[in-house]
Amino acid sequence: MPSALSSISADPSANLAVDPSPDLAAFRIAVEPYYRPVGDEIAVFEAAWRHRLPVMLKGPTGCGKTRFVEHMAWRLGRPLITVAAHEDMTAADLAGRFLLAPEGTVWQDGPLTQAVRHGALCYLDEIVEARQDTTVVIHPLTDARRLLPLEKRNEQVRAHEDFQLVISYNPGYQSAVKDLKESTKQRFVAIAFDYPAPELEAEIVMREAGADLALARILVAIAACSRNLRGQGLDEGASTRMLIHAGRLASGGVSLEAAVEAAIVLPITDDADMRRALNAAISACLP
Amino acid sequence: MSGLIACDTPELARLSRLMDARETLGTIFAQTRRRLAARHGEPALEPWAQGVLAMVEVNAGASALLGFGRASVELAGRLSPAALGETGLAAAALCREAGGRATTAALDGFVEIAPRLAGEGERAIWWRALLTLAQAAPECVEAVAAQARRLVLPGHVAEFEGFIAAGLKAAGRDRGRRRAFFALEDALALGLLARIGAGPGFAELEAGLTRVLAALWGTAPNLQPLPPAGGEAPRRVNIAGSVIRLPDVFPGVQGEAARRLYLAAALHAGAHLHVGNPRFPIRKFRPVQVALAGLIEDARVETLAMARYPGLRRLWAPFHVATPEDGPTLAALLARVARGLFDPAYEDPDALVGKAQALFAAAHERLDDPALSLGIGTRLANDIGQRRLRFDARGHVVEPAYRDDGLGLWDFSDIDPEVSDEIEMMVEAARIERREGEDGAPDEAPSREPAGRARPKAAAETGPVIASYPEWDAQAGIERPDWTSVRAMLPAPGDIRPLHRALEQAGPARARIARLVKAAKVGRASRLKRQAEGHDLDIDAAIEAVIARRAGETPDLRVFRSTALTQRDLAVLVLVDMSQSTRERLADGTSVLDVEKLAVAMLAEALAALGDAFALFAFASNGRDDVRVCEVKGFDVPYDMAATARLAGLTSGLSTRLGAGLRHVGAQIARVRSFRKLVLVLTDGEPSDIDVAAPDLVEDARRVVLQLRVQGIDTFGVTLDPGGVGSGPAIFGKANSMPVRRIEDLPLRLSDLYFRLARR
Repeated sequence: MPSALSSISADPSANLAVDPSPDLAAFRIAVEPYYRPVGDEIAVFEAAWRHRLPVMLKGPTGCGKTRFVEHMAWRLGRPLITVAAHEDMTAADLAGRFLLAPEGTVWQDGPLTQAVRHGALCYLDEIVEARQDTTVVIHPLTDARRLLPLEKRNEQVRAHEDFQLVISYNPGYQSAVKDLKESTKQRFVAIAFDYPAPELEAEIVMREAGADLALARILVAIAACSRNLRGQGLDEGASTRMLIHAGRLASGGVSLEAAVEAAIVLPITDDADMRRALNAAISACLP
Repeated sequence: MSGLIACDTPELARLSRLMDARETLGTIFAQTRRRLAARHGEPALEPWAQGVLAMVEVNAGASALLGFGRASVELAGRLSPAALGETGLAAAALCREAGGRATTAALDGFVEIAPRLAGEGERAIWWRALLTLAQAAPECVEAVAAQARRLVLPGHVAEFEGFIAAGLKAAGRDRGRRRAFFALEDALALGLLARIGAGPGFAELEAGLTRVLAALWGTAPNLQPLPPAGGEAPRRVNIAGSVIRLPDVFPGVQGEAARRLYLAAALHAGAHLHVGNPRFPIRKFRPVQVALAGLIEDARVETLAMARYPGLRRLWAPFHVATPEDGPTLAALLARVARGLFDPAYEDPDALVGKAQALFAAAHERLDDPALSLGIGTRLANDIGQRRLRFDARGHVVEPAYRDDGLGLWDFSDIDPEVSDEIEMMVEAARIERREGEDGAPDEAPSREPAGRARPKAAAETGPVIASYPEWDAQAGIERPDWTSVRAMLPAPGDIRPLHRALEQAGPARARIARLVKAAKVGRASRLKRQAEGHDLDIDAAIEAVIARRAGETPDLRVFRSTALTQRDLAVLVLVDMSQSTRERLADGTSVLDVEKLAVAMLAEALAALGDAFALFAFASNGRDDVRVCEVKGFDVPYDMAATARLAGLTSGLSTRLGAGLRHVGAQIARVRSFRKLVLVLTDGEPSDIDVAAPDLVEDARRVVLQLRVQGIDTFGVTLDPGGVGSGPAIFGKANSMPVRRIEDLPLRLSDLYFRLARR
């Protein structure tokens, strides 16, 4: 697993540095993150990159959205700044704020401003989780203006020519309560992600979990069963990520039944009846 | 003899004196007494004598006394004289209510089932239940007692009492029905009988089975219970079109075994539906051919299913236990053929099994071809014919137990009249009612038995006038006072099962609504900035405060952040249009009103879960003097089964005088104390009535909406308007009307609308 990626919250030193190095070395991805293309998503992303169009990645959890961004950042040779959006995130958390230093107040760029100034890919993960006022901050960045107004500093940050904004958006959570504004949605080029076709998914599980093909195929069949239960009591089926976890457990010496139970069944549902039904279906998939 | 009796057994002495006077009876009782005395000793017989005397005192008659004598002898080894005495007392009590014949039958039944009754408590249940029955329906006691063996099963004695109570409740005062029930000639009785001693049944397992089938085959199956027919509970699954019909219970199978059997049966049926053949034309196949082709087809679909889901072999294998020791019958041989096809490693001395295995193995390459089932089946049937083995079409039951009755494979529409009798025998054996005149539509679900269902009662045509309202006369430009009369229509409770089924089928939409409920219930924590106290520093406020201090200004000390839950204080009233136009049918046969009911039921579920105050009303009109409003649920009553039944009982008819309906519900919601008040109107089209032009009613409704807004009541219209040309926007305003283009979308759109509104 390549670990060159660091998110803002995981690296406090990057957060607090008053003036990070302009090349954002800590945010560069050195080793190619494994990504198996499913369709023409790489071509679409590259085309969007050429015109610096903002990109929205849609798809269920654990189907490879984040990995795809890492892969594209590596491919394009740009640093990647990832922000995991959460309910309490404010516009200041993204854009930056004044802090107190011995000599007085000091402006601290937020992750978005950093990316805008120095030309990085900025990836806002699960953007719908953030408060709606937060998403409005990105509006001037995502149209022809490409600038970020910092009203507290009375500054208009013109975007670096290599800056590109990527957001992810899980339609599974989409609801009347949490949904992107139309005005936000319509600024993006969207790429739809879904779980890969069975053969492809088996290949990915094999590669990532170090499992053999037979094991990978069984796991993929189990995942298909759980995905059929979406809306029948499960909110989401087993993701590719779960399969990889199960595959790692199973190829690490845990019995297949126990691995599937630990990595798929137990995390996915708390409902005993659902667990029983899922186990019956899984039992049919196991040789 | 009486001289032997010591004075410390006065009852026994009294009994002896009484019996000595009676000839035959006396002799038999003397014998009985001697046998009991030999076992327990004379002094111990005192309670027994009390029992006999009690029976004598109620004039039980010779046959009942003899019956007690027989019971005493039969049960002497099992019951103590004291327990026998109790039995006598209970029999006497029964005799007082139901008479001698019934008591004799009860005693005989008691002897039969005594080995199944553990302890005094269970014996008392038998007598107590019969006594209850005797008090309500003495004429039925004998019939029940005669069925003792079927009704009282070891370990399930308490269910006998439940059966009696259910029968009395179901039949009510209808003597004929009661008699039929307790003679076990009634469908409900048979259904209950089948449940006695049977472990988890269809009702308990349905939800789980639906999920497993959906998980494996990708589509939610249509599972239905298979009601008892022709006097017996069905023993096998039946497939009708795309509907899998499972028995209510598999008699005699309990606990984990019942779970496994249901799962095996449902997955077998699922394999038929997903990898099997749609249907073979029956033409002139003989019953034995039909049976064998079914057998091969079972093996074929199972092999295909196991190729995809290898674990199914573990599920089905334990049911294949047929061996040559089972007997020489053809049925046993067919079970072995089934085993041989399921398990190629199985070896059987009978050549037929080997031949079936060889033919099936040879067809390995073309398993996808359903014709091979007919081909191999016919060849094996010919072998059976040559060996002159008799096939019992009437008694044929598919083995093993998890397999379906095989009739779902056949298309009976082109049956040859020459063979129809034989086939019908087989069909009858499998207890499926053939639907005459059916044009073979594969997806048509069989209609369900109306057994045990109360027929929906017709609502009272016109109820009392409960209010009068003015109406806007657009032509004259004046408001005419007391122009419309609203009558209360008592909603007749309807059958809630179709509604429940529709709710179940709307799984994904309900799950989505449940998420909305969850999100809304918690209340969105809103963050309060610049607070005097709080759990966190408001960094921006703190910095401003420090800046202010350095600048020599007075800093604002409110530098904390806290969170507060937003309180919901909301009342909502849903007004449903049930006018004639809601009778229209959609492509899938449901009516517009059905969709409206489903939508309202889903919203009501959500509202009940949220705890928001809500009410449901429905309306229709028949001229200005007869605007009917039906209160399905008021604000102050819970949304319970009764409310659901009232919702289910709404029927389409009459016209849509929307303004009057709105005025009435507006008056209802105005009385509720709440910060926000919402009226959601669910209508399928234009206001109209028999005595006024439609545009006038639009004007009137618009006026009511505006009046309600002045009172702080927001009115929203959800209009079923496939063409997008309705007057919804004209009545409710553009922002407050939501035309629904696809009627099927209504349930979700209605709930979505609610949650959107509730947030504002």
